[in-house]
Order: sequence, then C-alpha cells, then structure tokens
Amino acid sequence: MSHDTRPRGGFGMLMRSLLIQGAWNYRTMLGSGFAFALLPALKRLYGNDPNALARAIERHSEHFNAHPYLAPIALGAIARLESDQVDVETIRRFRTAVRGPLGGLGDTLVWATWLPLVAVCSLVLYWFGVPGWGVVLAFVLVYNVGHLGLRVWGLWLGLDAGRDVGARLTAVDLGSWARRLQGPLVIGLGVLCGAVLSAPGGLSSIGPAWSALAAVAFVLGLVGGHRAWRPAAMATVGAIAFIGLWGILS
Amino acid sequence: MSVVLYRVDERLIHGQVVIGWGHELRPDRYVVVDDEIAGSAWEQELYALGAPEADAVFATVKDARAHLDEWSRDHVRTVVLTRTIGSMRALLDGLGQGRAINLGGLHAGPERTRVLDYLHLTADDREDLGALAAQGVEVFARDLPEAPSVDLDTVLSA
Amino acid sequence: MTELLRFGVLGGLLGLDGTAVGQFMMSRPLVAGWLSGWAAGAPGLGITIGAILELFLLVSFPTGGARFPEGSTAAVVAVGVAVPFDGSGAVAASVAMGLVWGEVGGWSVTMQRRVNSRLVPTGVASRTGSLGRAHLLAIVTDFLRGAVVSMVGVALGRAGLGVVDARWPVDPSVSTGVLYVGAAVSLGILLHDLGGFRRRRILFVLGLAFGIVGARFL
Repeated sequence: MSHDTRPRGGFGMLMRSLLIQGAWNYRTMLGSGFAFALLPALKRLYGNDPNALARAIERHSEHFNAHPYLAPIALGAIARLESDQVDVETIRRFRTAVRGPLGGLGDTLVWATWLPLVAVCSLVLYWFGVPGWGVVLAFVLVYNVGHLGLRVWGLWLGLDAGRDVGARLTAVDLGSWARRLQGPLVIGLGVLCGAVLSAPGGLSSIGPAWSALAAVAFVLGLVGGHRAWRPAAMATVGAIAFIGLWGILS
Repeated sequence: MSVVLYRVDERLIHGQVVIGWGHELRPDRYVVVDDEIAGSAWEQELYALGAPEADAVFATVKDARAHLDEWSRDHVRTVVLTRTIGSMRALLDGLGQGRAINLGGLHAGPERTRVLDYLHLTADDREDLGALAAQGVEVFARDLPEAPSVDLDTVLSA
Repeated sequence: MTELLRFGVLGGLLGLDGTAVGQFMMSRPLVAGWLSGWAAGAPGLGITIGAILELFLLVSFPTGGARFPEGSTAAVVAVGVAVPFDGSGAVAASVAMGLVWGEVGGWSVTMQRRVNSRLVPTGVASRTGSLGRAHLLAIVTDFLRGAVVSMVGVALGRAGLGVVDARWPVDPSVSTGVLYVGAAVSLGILLHDLGGFRRRRILFVLGLAFGIVGARFL
C-alpha cells in the first residue's frame, strides 16, 4: 500500500496506546481504552461533525480485549478501515475477530516467553555479582526494546495491512518467535538454578541439607505446575511466621 | 462420538476456548458454524490464528448440517462453535437428540438481560433454548471447565 | 511520616505501571525492589529483596481478567518494612510480608477494576471529553489505591517486625534457606511451563552446569 493512503495520527495513537489499560474494567475490559487510544485518528476523520464523532467513539468503546503490546495492531488496522470508509458492520466484525488472536499471541510471546527470558537473564547477572543498578538497568533497557519495538511494529503493520492483518500475522508467525526464544529461556533457567545453588551466599554456602530441600521444592513445582504456586508461597510465609512466633514465645 | 463440545460463544476461537477447554478436551479441529464468516476469508484468517495447534474449519449452517453426522463419527476430536444461540438451534434443529450444548460467552448488549457474568440472553435466545431442550438437547452454561455448570432451568429462571 | 509517604508514592506509581500506564515492567519486583531501596538510601537491601521476590513471582503475570499477586506492592512493602531493621530475620520476615501484601494488592486491583466499570462512560454519554476524564479519574484512583495499600502494608509490617526483630531465634542463613526453598518451587513451575524436564533436560542441564561453575569462578 502506498504511503498517502495511510491514515495520520499514528504517533498520538502510539502514545495513547500506553494508556489503553488505563480504565481496565470487567464490563468492557479495554473497550473505553481502545476508543481513547483511537481518538487521534477518529478526530481527523470526524472532527467537523460532532455527532458522527460521538457515534464513532461509542462504537469503539464496546467490549475489547487484547494483549496491551499487540493492541496497536488492532488500533492501526481499524484506523485504516475507518479512513478507507469501510462500513460500520464490517469494522465491528473485524474488531470482534481480532480480539482473540491478539490476546493469545501476546500472552504466549510476551508474558510466557519474553518477560521471563529477560527476568531470568537479569537474575543470573545478579547472582554472578553484577551490582544492583546494573542488573536493573539491563532488565529495563533490554525488556523495553522488545516491548516498544512490538508496539511500533504492530501499529505500522495495522495501518499498512488494514483488514488483512490476519494474513500478515499468519506469515510473520509470532508463535514461532516464542518457540525460538524458549530454548534460550530453558538454558537461562538452568544457569539461574546453578547460580542460586553455588553463588557466594547461595544455597550451597548455607549447607547441603538446604540444597536438597530446594531440589525437592523444585521438583514439586515441576510436577505440580501453577497449582503449586500459592501453597508454596503460603508455606514459606507460614514457616517464617512460625520462626517469628517461636522467637516471641521463647 | 468425536464432537467433544458444542459451544455458543460470541468470541468463537479465543483464549477461554483454546486454553481453558482445549487443555481439557485436546481437540484437533475447531468447526466455526456461521453463515457470514464462512464467506469471509480475512475473518477466517483472524480466527484461525487463535488455534495454531489445531485445524480451523468454517462452514455455513447448511453445510454444517450436512457434515454433522460425519464429524460425530470420525476420529478427529472436534469442537463446534457458533456465535449465537440462533445459529446453534438452526444447526441442531431435528438432529440434536442426545447432544449437549455449552453456553459460554454472550456479553451485555441491547435487549439482552443478564443471567450470569458471562451470559446475557434475549427473549429469542430463551425461546430457542426451550425449543432445543424440548427436542432432547441438554443445555448447560459453563465458561470454563473448572467453573460450576449451570443447568437450563436455572438459566431460564434468572 | 514523610518516609511512609515516599513508599506510598512509589507503590502508587509502580502499581500504575503494572496495568494502567505503560506496562514498562518497572513494576516487576526486581526493579520495584531496587527503586524502593534506592529511595530509602539502601539500594543493596532493595536489590536483595527484589531478586528473591522476583524468583517467587517469575511465573506470575498480569494476564487478562485473572487475579494475580501484585509484584510492585509486594516489593515496595517488603523493602519498606525491612529498611529500619537489622536483625537476623529482617529480610526473611519482610519478604514474607511482601508475599502476603502482594495478594492484598492483587485483591485491591480487582476492586479497582469493578470501580472502573462504573467510571467508564456508556452509550451516547461517551463523548470525547467524558472519555478522557473517565480515564484520568480511573488512573488517579488507581494511583491512590496503590499508594494506600503500600503505606498500610509498610506500617503494619514494621509494627509486626518491631516485635520480633530483636528476638529472632535462628541464624540468618536458616531464614534465607527457607526463602530459597520456597522460591525453588517457582523455578520448577517455569520449567514445567516450558515443556517439563524430560523434553528440556539437555539444555537445562547444560545451563545448570554452566551456572554452578560460573557463579563460583566468574
């Protein structure tokens, strides 16, 4: 598609997309945030007609959900459809259809892969003795290069592809990015486990019994999956509370 | 029988279905029964993105009725999805005996009244559900496998 | 009091990062913990607590409508509680308080989301101005929520730790051991999510060997 047919207002939408979850709610989820982020594009299209603008805002405030980093794909595509004067019903159906994949892909790629990968690598730096500010700086910079890159790319993709983002996303195959990052994440997790074991001040310096207990706990998590999380956290809190009580009573 | 779930959910193929029910039922095929989507390539591409591990098939109500028997007998574990209760009734009318349909997400909208957090019905929806039940179709509302199942009497009395 | 307010402001701002504004993941315990320590003149304590809480919350993300422990609240409260104490159980007790208060934070997030349902305009009322105002109002109340939850957590935690700090009955290594054992469960869950030990054993064991050697000799 040539440049001139693309709607304007992209930078404003990109900035506002950072606030798309500003009013996250159980009724429309990101619905009103979606309209809020789309406003720069809508104002350019309907700026002269307050009634048409109000109706457009109302349409785009309906229920919407997506991963926040991938929501710009939908914002861009819908800005494009609006500026191409596609009919209201088609836009509504597009908005409905795009929710599912943008949520699922984002959860897999960002929450289940990119975030743990950067967090695990930063924790490895910490246990390898890198000073705190360096660890935090590395985490924030690296993580957000991926984060903001995804937002900018997504908005561009949406504006460029319009209704055909489905075909473009199939070709790009974000799921395969996630699978490619999983190998490095497994290695990083291994390194982190090793570092927590052997670093100065780590488990092995406390004693072999603690290392063995931690190995048992690791296996509990490995077998139980997410069901094991809350019981483990509560057992930790319980054990520490017990030690404290023992201190008061003795 | 290898249709493992009939579900009405206006979001069709999405996280609750693919992750929530998918991990429980392990389907290899999602059949979306919808006259409009069956003729719309870009919509099919979007919905298919939501189920990367399984086949996504799109059919009109008429085609789906013709294939229903085949899907029920072959060995591909299948989830059948419609956007509305109306299409589910059109799909199963006269063929539904002994089958069960799951009501998933129907969200708030004009002329819909709230039954459960995830379920809002119109008067027509209620009539369609009653007609299906009268033909021997079991109807239950349940958004996720770990959530409680709500039977049709409770749904209609709300 | 000004010190408590400082943790409140941090808890409010970092809580916003979790959902409402930006999602730059400054709200992760690692970052929130270091920042809280830095703001109180103890960045070393901040990163120690932040890193342990990050291990615990490595498998907890703000997905969709589900309830999750709030990492920013957990870290701000844990560091805020620990700062004035130097007993052998101060870090462990503060992390425990952080874990508990992270759940309180998560609960307050669901309450905020119910309130937001009423704040966002519906139907024809959704004009330009009211939409922006509703968003601003939702963001301001979310900031106040995070601030109040953090301050209450820090105040309660300090009162509690004040009672036990001087009478902590065990060596610091035992307290730290308990934390590591609890956190090891999360590391196991992460490997579970990535396909389990059997499928991933080669890469995992390679990494493990490198970590054991690297952390000691690098």
